[in-house]
Amino acid sequence: MKKQWALVLFLLMTASSLVLAGGKSEAAEEDLSKQVLIVGSVDSVTTWDPSASYSTEIAYFTNLYEGLIRAAAPGSDQPFEPLLATAWEASPDGLEWTFTLRRGVTFHDGTAFNAQAVKYSYERTMELGLGAAFILDPIESITVVDDYTVLFKLSYAAPLDRIAASAYGSWIFSPAVKDKGREWFEEGNAAGTGPYKLESYKPDQEIVLVRNENYWGPKDTPAVQRVLVRIVKDAVTMQNMLEAGQADIVTLIPKESLSSVDDRDDCKVLTGPSFMNYAIHLNTQKPPLDNVLVRRAISYAIPYDDVITVSLGDLGTKAVSPIPFGQFGCATDLPQYTTDLAKARDLMKQAGFAGGIDRTLVFTFAAENAAHQAYAPLIKESLEKIGIPVEVRPILWTAQWEMMKGDPLQAQDLGALLWWPTFNDPYETLASLWRTEKKPFFNFAYYSNPRYDDLIDRAYATPDEDEALKLYRAAQEILVQEAPSVYLFDLTTAVPMRENIQGFVINPAYPKAMYFYGVKKN
Amino acid sequence: MIRYLRFITKRLILLLFVLFGLSLMTFLLARVVPSDPAATYLGPRPQPEQVERIRAQMGLDRPLPVQYALYLRDLLSGDFGTSLSTHQPVLASIREYLPASLELMITAMAIALAVGLFLGTLSARHENTLIDHTGRFIAITGVSLPAFWLGLLLQILFFRVLGILPLGGRIDTMVSLIHPVKTITGFLCLDSLLTGNWTAFRSALLHLILPACTLAAYSIGIVTRMTRSSLLEVAQEEFVTAARAEGFSERRIAGKYMLKNALGPTFTSAGLAFASMLTGTFYIEAIFYWPGLGSYTANAILSIDYPVIMGVTLLGAVFYVVVNLLVDILISFIDPRIRI
Repeated sequence: MKKQWALVLFLLMTASSLVLAGGKSEAAEEDLSKQVLIVGSVDSVTTWDPSASYSTEIAYFTNLYEGLIRAAAPGSDQPFEPLLATAWEASPDGLEWTFTLRRGVTFHDGTAFNAQAVKYSYERTMELGLGAAFILDPIESITVVDDYTVLFKLSYAAPLDRIAASAYGSWIFSPAVKDKGREWFEEGNAAGTGPYKLESYKPDQEIVLVRNENYWGPKDTPAVQRVLVRIVKDAVTMQNMLEAGQADIVTLIPKESLSSVDDRDDCKVLTGPSFMNYAIHLNTQKPPLDNVLVRRAISYAIPYDDVITVSLGDLGTKAVSPIPFGQFGCATDLPQYTTDLAKARDLMKQAGFAGGIDRTLVFTFAAENAAHQAYAPLIKESLEKIGIPVEVRPILWTAQWEMMKGDPLQAQDLGALLWWPTFNDPYETLASLWRTEKKPFFNFAYYSNPRYDDLIDRAYATPDEDEALKLYRAAQEILVQEAPSVYLFDLTTAVPMRENIQGFVINPAYPKAMYFYGVKKN
Repeated sequence: MIRYLRFITKRLILLLFVLFGLSLMTFLLARVVPSDPAATYLGPRPQPEQVERIRAQMGLDRPLPVQYALYLRDLLSGDFGTSLSTHQPVLASIREYLPASLELMITAMAIALAVGLFLGTLSARHENTLIDHTGRFIAITGVSLPAFWLGLLLQILFFRVLGILPLGGRIDTMVSLIHPVKTITGFLCLDSLLTGNWTAFRSALLHLILPACTLAAYSIGIVTRMTRSSLLEVAQEEFVTAARAEGFSERRIAGKYMLKNALGPTFTSAGLAFASMLTGTFYIEAIFYWPGLGSYTANAILSIDYPVIMGVTLLGAVFYVVVNLLVDILISFIDPRIRI
């Protein structure tokens, strides 16, 4: 018996000494840790196929792949900056676009970058027809003029520069993927020209990016050797990781904690604009919201400042237009709705609802969105003040969308939506949300106005930017006057990170994208 | 031996019926929920034409019975389908997440059995004394404390205040980069041990302690209370009086005769608790960012990713039945009076 105990004791001691030993290579780890950037991110990868990508994987794609050009970050005097194309120009009618390509670039797989690769990439994306391929609809043909010149012919005029700068649908990748099929990508492979290569991928767990030694940029870039992304779905957990130094950058912490994290000596929160906005769409097909006066009354009844404070704290600004502030086409001089209950009540009276509405209106939103959750009670409360009873109905986004896509007369009365543009152009937003639709898809206001449709169609097709801005402005003014939606607020992006992280850039044209290229760890 | 075989066969045939019923039920439920799998597959902003095309590709435009038959056919050939949101094969993902869950569950159950049996036996031997009351207090605390709260408390104490245990994850990031663990079983502790990767083993073991203890708390309570009450019941039996009359020591009576007889109910309830850990550990996995089946399932539910939901449900059913089967066999070995 005693012998047995002695044996157990011996084993335990051996085991614990092994466990507690180690730590001799800590100095080496310290050195190495400067070379490794650890990122906590909520964003899953739904696909690694650059032709199909149209979701949260954009967070990582911008490091692996490059387009011909890129929308410049705020502060630049140019709208675009060159990437794989060094120069580009359009014919006066906007139907022919010529791009001059960068020389001496190779893909991660060693294939040389040239005009053939550009042609192949665009054609593969158009042929697959997945993700954001629809933005390439205007392209009729792509011609290889020489190894470093490529000519796009369009079937109708469209802003191909803004399309080519899109982070969805416009990536250039190695033509060698032709033989590999889509599964090759989904296994966690990439074949771009970006500053980082995809080293390994565990779905919804971990992504490892490693520096592309052959990157065409300056020799010392990118500065960080490896980027390790931990995919974590919980905001509090991410805050813990950041504060404990187990992550250098995180994408989400509870909004209540932003200021306390920013106040810490070892952490900071970087903020910047985003082209994401929140709006509540009013069912313009169904009484009483088919009445423009009631819709305007609602627009005056919303307590905008309180809505922003409860849902985002400091991370939101009142929308000045249906298009996010700063985005191309956003009109900043439109008439504005302010919070004015007297005016709202007056409009209700004019609409013939002095005694209020005798039906309870249904207000739906995506239950998984914390911002909607936070401001919804305020909407209910303020509309009830002008005699509109509201039932708040949070449902999962997929279910909400099914309901919205159904018969407008059976659908919700008010539906909230978080929106962001696919690429830096107002047409997609203005067309998806308010252009006449035979069958509802994203036009959750069920709005239809031929004059409006004509304005935005003309704005998209004209190669004259000033003309486009004028037409877009007129269209936005209609949306304010007719009030098919309540334009709530634009989102401010906040990226919490460790104090020693330098060079992280927030580019509003690419919401959710993280550029590790310029990041340094001091 | 034949008796066991017959018993196992009977149970497995029963499992087939359970699985058939479950697959039908989850299949129908997935179709009743208002969502469009084709749209989910395409991502947040699909185009109407794309939805139509993918719907046809996925066979969603065919009659329900045909869809179900096709699903069963794929299932029988080992194809659990592809996740709508991650576009990864469901079976491959389960294979990835299951070892992480099992590693956590088995460690937690080992802790629960060790602590629970010890506390339960102690409580029974010292019925209605301070020891018994303390045991009861620990057991009830373990059962009634919400796991996520206990997890946070342990994190604050052992990570923030004492700084001796890691916050979460399966292994330290730098360690995993410098000393990568070769995957053999998928159990990080075991794999690092088998490959003699001591640094990784140390890190993996330290990372396992807090989540395993948090997960064990509930089962500790169950095992303690079950052991105590069964022991007290057994204490009234005549064979205990007989053993005492023979002059055996109290220690031997409790350890060798009483405990053996009392283990049945304890193991049965511990088995059930163990099986429920498989997908019921979401909170713990979220707090300790442990990449297990719980988080995988929770994410799938939120995005109505029905191939994943169905795959995990079926796996859960198989797991329940198999664990129960094993527990029954184990009990019949410990207590030969129980015939199976």
